[in-house]
Amino acid sequence: MRGNAVRTRRGFPARVLHLLEYWAARLTLFGVDLLPPAAASRWAAALGSLWWAADRPRRRVAISNILRAGVAGDRREARAIGRAAARHMGTVLVESMKSALLLDDPERLRVDVPGDVQAVLDDPERGLIVVSGHFGNWEVAGQWLSRYKPVAGISRPMNNPRVQELALARRPRREFRTIPKYDPDPGRFLRLLGDGEILALLVDQHARQGIDVAFFGHPAKTHTTAAMLHLVARTPLTFAVCRRTADWTFELTLSPLIERPRSGDRNADVEAILRTLNDRLEAAIRRDPDQYLWGHRRWR
Amino acid sequence: MDTGGASGTLDRLRDVLRESAVEDHDWDAVVAETPIESLGFDSLTILDVLYDVEEEFGIALDPKQVVKTRTVGEIVALLQQNGA
Repeated sequence: MRGNAVRTRRGFPARVLHLLEYWAARLTLFGVDLLPPAAASRWAAALGSLWWAADRPRRRVAISNILRAGVAGDRREARAIGRAAARHMGTVLVESMKSALLLDDPERLRVDVPGDVQAVLDDPERGLIVVSGHFGNWEVAGQWLSRYKPVAGISRPMNNPRVQELALARRPRREFRTIPKYDPDPGRFLRLLGDGEILALLVDQHARQGIDVAFFGHPAKTHTTAAMLHLVARTPLTFAVCRRTADWTFELTLSPLIERPRSGDRNADVEAILRTLNDRLEAAIRRDPDQYLWGHRRWR
Repeated sequence: MDTGGASGTLDRLRDVLRESAVEDHDWDAVVAETPIESLGFDSLTILDVLYDVEEEFGIALDPKQVVKTRTVGEIVALLQQNGA
């Protein structure tokens, strides 16, 4: 059976790589548990730096994306942004696992919710679609929102099931749960929105079946789910940005409700909504490019 | 029961499904008793179809009612209840 073992792109048997990753994650968690929050963040940021140095293919993708987006003037600046973003992502993991320190502290988590969004949050009968990207700390945003209504976050399962299990077991989630991107039940999104829940989506991953929408001026295949749900279920839609302003301090901003009356042209309606969402994400990234997950092949 | 109306609505529904569904399917074989789950929609493709159905019939369906339907005939009945 050895000859049939699943192998990664670098030739490791996936089973061995997953085991190594799992123990690296356990080591990280050991440090997180042992240290006070500030030191745990530094520990996680250092691991982020280590990852940046070690994962050459991902580093090249990140630098290429940063240059393509035009948020760096040259390759040197792009490397600096990419390294800072890798450190940021390390701390995101720690903050997500220790989010209890943030969620109920208005000094640590400042929140700006417009009146029309607040009215939806306060109404148990109304569902809400919340869109964001891999920017700032999106996990903290989802967990904070779950104080109002149950939140279902659509997520792709991690490649490493051992690490996924570990991560899910460790995060304080309140009424926050993840649901798979693909599922044969056609009514599941409509049902949970009809039940007055929040559906949280990150719209900045390459979507094979999506449509081309400009992202930093370049066409990027973008998921249509959020836009279609808004148009079909007539569920209110908002964009969330949870940016770090200092260590263990965040600012969560929800946009006023994004509304698009139906024109009868499905593609035009979807594209208009997705353009708005991409523009909002782009603006957040331009402001803090070192808080974005650049190592994903967004433009293919 | 206005069976002629139901039949006409089913024909129009079949046409919309044929136009907007991504998956290949024998749409002529779809009858009132056909289970919706056999049509091959997932949670994303169903949204495209619902948009097109609402545009074709000029109505707005309540998603809570839509997710309760189990057969094509129940969808037809829902369309008729909403004025199709």
